[in-house]
Amino acid sequence: MKNILEIKNLYHAYDQNTLTIKDFSFSLKKGEIVSILGPSGIGKTTLLRIVAGLEHVMDGEVTISDKVVSKKNFLLPPEKRNLGLVVEDRALFPHLNIEKNVMFGINHIHERESLAQEYLGLFKVAELSKKYPHEISAGQQQRVAFARAIITNPDILLLDEPFGALDKNLKDELHDEAKKIFKDKDLSVLLVTHDEEEAEYFSDRIIEFQEDKIIIR
Amino acid sequence: MRSSKIFSVWHGLPLFILLFFLSPILIILSSVFADFSENWSHIYEYVLADYILNSLILVSGVSILVMTIGSLTAWLVTNYQFFGKRFFEWGLILPLAIPPYILAYTFTGLFDSYGTMNEIARSVFNLKQNEMLFPNIRNIYGAIIVFSFTLYPYVYLICRTAFLNQSRSMFEVGRTLGLSQASIFLKLALPLVRPALIAGTMIVAMETLSDFGAVDHFAISTFTTGIFRTWYGMYDLTTAMQLASMLLIFITFCLIIERISRKNASYSTIGSNFKPTPVKRLSSLRSSACFFICFVPIFIGFILPVLEILNWSLRFNTRFFNEQFFSISLNTVLLSILSAILCTFIAMIINFSIRYTNSPVIKSINPFLNIGYAVPGLILAVGIVQLFVFLDTNILNSFEEYFLTGSLFGLIFAYIIKSYALANSTYEAGYQKISQTIDDSARILKSTGLNLLLRVHFPILKTSFFTSILLVTSEVVKELPATLILRPFNFETLAVSTYIYASEERMVEAAAPATAIILIGLIPIFFISQMIRASRLEKS
Repeated sequence: MKNILEIKNLYHAYDQNTLTIKDFSFSLKKGEIVSILGPSGIGKTTLLRIVAGLEHVMDGEVTISDKVVSKKNFLLPPEKRNLGLVVEDRALFPHLNIEKNVMFGINHIHERESLAQEYLGLFKVAELSKKYPHEISAGQQQRVAFARAIITNPDILLLDEPFGALDKNLKDELHDEAKKIFKDKDLSVLLVTHDEEEAEYFSDRIIEFQEDKIIIR
Repeated sequence: MRSSKIFSVWHGLPLFILLFFLSPILIILSSVFADFSENWSHIYEYVLADYILNSLILVSGVSILVMTIGSLTAWLVTNYQFFGKRFFEWGLILPLAIPPYILAYTFTGLFDSYGTMNEIARSVFNLKQNEMLFPNIRNIYGAIIVFSFTLYPYVYLICRTAFLNQSRSMFEVGRTLGLSQASIFLKLALPLVRPALIAGTMIVAMETLSDFGAVDHFAISTFTTGIFRTWYGMYDLTTAMQLASMLLIFITFCLIIERISRKNASYSTIGSNFKPTPVKRLSSLRSSACFFICFVPIFIGFILPVLEILNWSLRFNTRFFNEQFFSISLNTVLLSILSAILCTFIAMIINFSIRYTNSPVIKSINPFLNIGYAVPGLILAVGIVQLFVFLDTNILNSFEEYFLTGSLFGLIFAYIIKSYALANSTYEAGYQKISQTIDDSARILKSTGLNLLLRVHFPILKTSFFTSILLVTSEVVKELPATLILRPFNFETLAVSTYIYASEERMVEAAAPATAIILIGLIPIFFISQMIRASRLEKS
C-alpha cells in the first residue's frame, strides 16, 4: 500500500534546551488509522501540529502524498496540505449554523448544500443543519466536526483527542460509527489520545510516546 | 494558526499604521532641536515657572483628592452592605459622562457671585447683594475640585477590581493580629492595592495635564493654555511645539509609572485557595455614613451639574431644539461615527495581524499605538497640522490649495489616534475569547488572511465591533482642544459649541450642546455598569 505520510528523522523543540521530538521516523499508509498514545505534555499534539503545518520543524522532513511539506527552514502552510482536523473542543464556528459550518471548506463547490446534507447524514445529524453550535449537545457537535473535517476529502485526517470531552456511552457509540465511516471512505487517520483502550480499539497501529523514547507497534 | 510568510500584508499594514500614528508626536519632539526664538526667551523668563508650578499644584491636588475619593468609595461598596450599595456600585462612575470643561462651566453658573447657589443662599439667609455664601471657584482650587470630581471614577474602577481580588484569609489574619476594621483598610487593603491606586491616579494626572477647556475657563496658566496662547496669540508654532515637547516628556513619565504599576495590578491574591471577602452588614448609623460618603462625589460630579443645566434650559426657556443645534449635532454625530468606524477597523486589523502573524515585532507595535490616549489633544493637533502642512507642500503639491491642512482629515486623524486605545481594548478582550483551535480549523479548511478575517473573526467579534464604535463615538464627542484647532473654518461640533458659548459667558445657550454631550457620554457608563454587574455575580 502507498505511503500517504512520511516523517524522516524529525527533530522539534520549543526552546534551545528541551527537545520535544528527537530523531523520529514514521510512515502512514493510505486508509490506515494510527493512534499517537502517551501521557499529557509529552509531545503527541506537537507531532500532530507538525503534520498539520502549525509548527515548524527543527530538523528532518515531512512528506505528504510524495510532496515535502516541512523541513528545516521550510513549511508549506496548512491550507495547502489538504488535511482535515478535529480537536477536543470541536472548534465549530459559533456564528455559523451547522450546515454552514460543514460547507465552510467547500464553498467553491456547486452542489455544496446537498453534499453537506450527505455528510451530516453520515454522522446522523442531518436534522440539526439549521441549528447553531450552542444549541446542540457536545456529542452532536463532535459529529458535526467530523463531517466538516472529511467533507473536503482530505489526504490525512488529524484527530486531537476528539472523544476526550464525551461520556463513556457516547464515546463508544461514536468510536464505532466514526471508525466505520473512515474505513468506508478509505481515509488515512492520525489520532492523538491518552486513552490506551481507545487507541487499541480504534487504530491499526500505535505510536507510543514514552518518557525517553517513541515506540511504534 | 500562524502566517507562515516572513513578511506579508499583515506585517506591512501595522507598520504603516504605526508610522502614521507616531508622525505627529515625533514632529512635536523634533522641535526641541530647532532654534529657540525670542518668544521662547519671553516665556522662559516670565511665564514658564507659572505653567510648571500651576500644573504641579493642579496635578498634586487632584491626585490626593481622587486617591481619597476613589479608594474609599471602592472599599465601601466592595466590603459593606448599606443602603443604596447596588446603585453606588455603578452610580459612582456617572461623573465620567461629564467632561471636566462642562463641570467647570456649570460650577461657574452655580457658584459665581450671581450664580444659582449664591442667589439661593441670599434668598434663604437674607443676605445682601454683595454678600456671598459660596466662594469664587474660578481659581486653581476650583479647578482641583472640578477635575477631582469628574476623574475620580478612574481610580474607583481600578481600586474596586483590586479590592474584589483580595482574599478573605489575609484580612482574617490581620484581625487576629489585632487590627481594627479601619486599620485593615489603612494598613492592609490600601497598601496591597497601591499599584492599582498609582495606575489610576496616573491616568487622572494625564487627563488633568491634557485638559484645555476647564483651565482656560478658569483662566489658569498651565502648559495647555500656554501652548494655545503661544500659537494663537504669538503665532509662533515652533515655540508652541517646544512647550508641547516639555509637556509630552512629563506625560511620558506619568505613562511609564502607570504601565509599571498596572503590571503589578494589585499584588493579586487570586489563586486556587482564593476566598472572596464577605460583605458585612452595617448598623443604620454606619450605613448612613457610607451612603453619605458615596453620595457626595456623585452629587458634585453628576447630579449638581445636570441640575444646573436643566435649570438653564427650563428657567431661561431656551429654544433647545433649534435648527443650529440640530445641524451641529448632526456634524458631531456623523464625524464621531465615521472616526469610530475607522478607528475600530484599525484596531481590528492590528489585533488580527498580531494573532495571525504571531510576530514579536507586530506584537510590540500595539503599546506604541496605544499611547495616543495619553497625548493631549492640543499637542496632537499641533503635530497633525505640521504633518499635513509638510504633506501638502511636499507630496500633494499638485493640488492648487492645501488639500489636507484645514480639512476634516486632520480632525478624524486626531480622533483615531486619541481613541485607538479604547477600540483596541475592546478587540483584545474579544480575541481572548476566541480559541486558537478555531483559527487552526479554519486554516486547515483553507481560510487564511483576509478570508479568515472576514468569514470567521469579523462575524464572531461583531459585538466587539459595535461596542468599540459606541465607545469611541462617545469619547470623540467630548474631545475639545483637538477639535478647536483642527476643525475646518466655520465647522462646529457640540464640544466646540459648548466652549464658544461658555467663553462668551452665554452659559444658558451652552445648555443644549452640553446636555447632548452628557447623554452621549452615558453610553460607556452603561457598558461599564454591565461589567460591574458581571463582576458582582462572579464574586457572589
